[in-house]
Amino acid sequence: MDAAIAWGIEAARRLGLNYAFLADAYDRASFVHGAWVTVQLVVCTLAGSLAAGVAMAALLTSRRPLLAGATRAFVEVTRNTPTLVQLYCAFLVLNMLITHALQDAQRSNPLTPFLWVVVVLSLHKGVFHAEALRAGIEAVPRVTLEAAASLGFDRRTLLWRVQLPLAVRFALPALVNNSVDLVKATAVASAIAVGDITYASIMIWTQRDNVLELMVLLLLFFGLLTWVVSQAGNWLELRLRMPGYGDR
Amino acid sequence: MATADSTVRGVPAWPRAGRFAGLLWLLPLVAVALAATRHPDLARALGSAWQWSPALLRGFLVNVGVSLLAIALGTAGGLLVGALRLSPLALLWRPAQLYVQVFRNAPWLVLIYFSTYVFPFEVNIGSHIVPFPDWLKVVLGLALPASANVAEVLRGSVQSIPLTQWEAASSMAFSRWQILRLIVGPQCVRRMLPPWMNLYATLTMSTALASLVGVHDLLDTAQIASNTVNQTAFTVLIYFIVLAMFFAWCYPISRFTRFLEQKHAVA
Repeated sequence: MDAAIAWGIEAARRLGLNYAFLADAYDRASFVHGAWVTVQLVVCTLAGSLAAGVAMAALLTSRRPLLAGATRAFVEVTRNTPTLVQLYCAFLVLNMLITHALQDAQRSNPLTPFLWVVVVLSLHKGVFHAEALRAGIEAVPRVTLEAAASLGFDRRTLLWRVQLPLAVRFALPALVNNSVDLVKATAVASAIAVGDITYASIMIWTQRDNVLELMVLLLLFFGLLTWVVSQAGNWLELRLRMPGYGDR
Repeated sequence: MATADSTVRGVPAWPRAGRFAGLLWLLPLVAVALAATRHPDLARALGSAWQWSPALLRGFLVNVGVSLLAIALGTAGGLLVGALRLSPLALLWRPAQLYVQVFRNAPWLVLIYFSTYVFPFEVNIGSHIVPFPDWLKVVLGLALPASANVAEVLRGSVQSIPLTQWEAASSMAFSRWQILRLIVGPQCVRRMLPPWMNLYATLTMSTALASLVGVHDLLDTAQIASNTVNQTAFTVLIYFIVLAMFFAWCYPISRFTRFLEQKHAVA
């Protein structure tokens, strides 16, 4: 293993690329750990954003105008402001207020930067998921719902057994697209010093001045992650395909 | 089928919901003003925010300037790459395809770091040494993914024009370039406008990332202000002001985009 790494570093050096950090156990470990943290971020945020998306889609299509209106306002603010500012509002403002409140009660704040990134990104992408799901829900033909209702489905069963399964299929391409965006958005975690792959790379290149080399690794890593997510999406689309819907 | 009740001659009334939203805007302002009369902390924070407002505006001008330059560069580059990608020559479209894939799959933040650290801080042109400021590097870093996205938008719009139009035009002895310029192009422009504006809004929001590489933009100014004043109420206020300023710039764009989309869908 070490021999292979040494050989690779030497080969890269001949091309003028400095990958010496891979031979250093500490730097290598921090880079690999960063990659792992990014994967964790992606997995947690994917799950969180889908949950948030379903919840917000339900609120958006709610029959109570106040609830639907408040959710709509949240959606518009989230869509039209930078993720980084949202992250700061959560981490620097909300987290600070929580810390102050807990300090008064003689307790420490259990919320970590990692958690804040997951929450903020989940809500951010959840908004985009919700829009896709809402469009999907509206695309379910009325007659299908009427047919199901006439078969004696109550409102909840109708939603879970008929409307949502169809809506998810209509929304799936957009959901996959949002998920690919989400993978890329996790890089913002480095802004509040969550030790993700971007942060680990910054730490290494400030020491070793090998930005280009690390950038290649970063782009490859994110390319791989987005590829995996989009492949999973394609597989799901194929798996859930229904005769008569979708032309592919 | 479009229902006719909300539309006049097939065109949706744009500001319908906007009229109402315009009034809703006043609500938080009134609430804050009322609260300030009771809480001296908040009143003090508002005073500080007023003092910092010129700096904040200057910061926001940096964001707007960077976004405008980046969209201009990105559009020019994207149209070029997109045109190459539509070329029938594999030698031209393959590299263009690779360019689009690489820069669409890279996080924007990573590209900003890339352009900030890889480009030199000054360039020698002949005997002159021209400084290469950070904000310009951010412009380049944002123009890269923007151009890849514009190329994709261009491809999508050209492909959305029915093939029969190409065939009809070429049977009338138009050349490939003439068809693009006279027949397909004008239709594409109209179709490209909504996604292009979406891209611009996204780009504007991404300019906030410039604060991470030391550009004195709005977010950076807000951080400096928050650390200088060092009051809880002011910190809360200033970040919400930042949020509101970006919203005020991007929301009208997104509404107008939606209006264009609807108009296109109906027509």
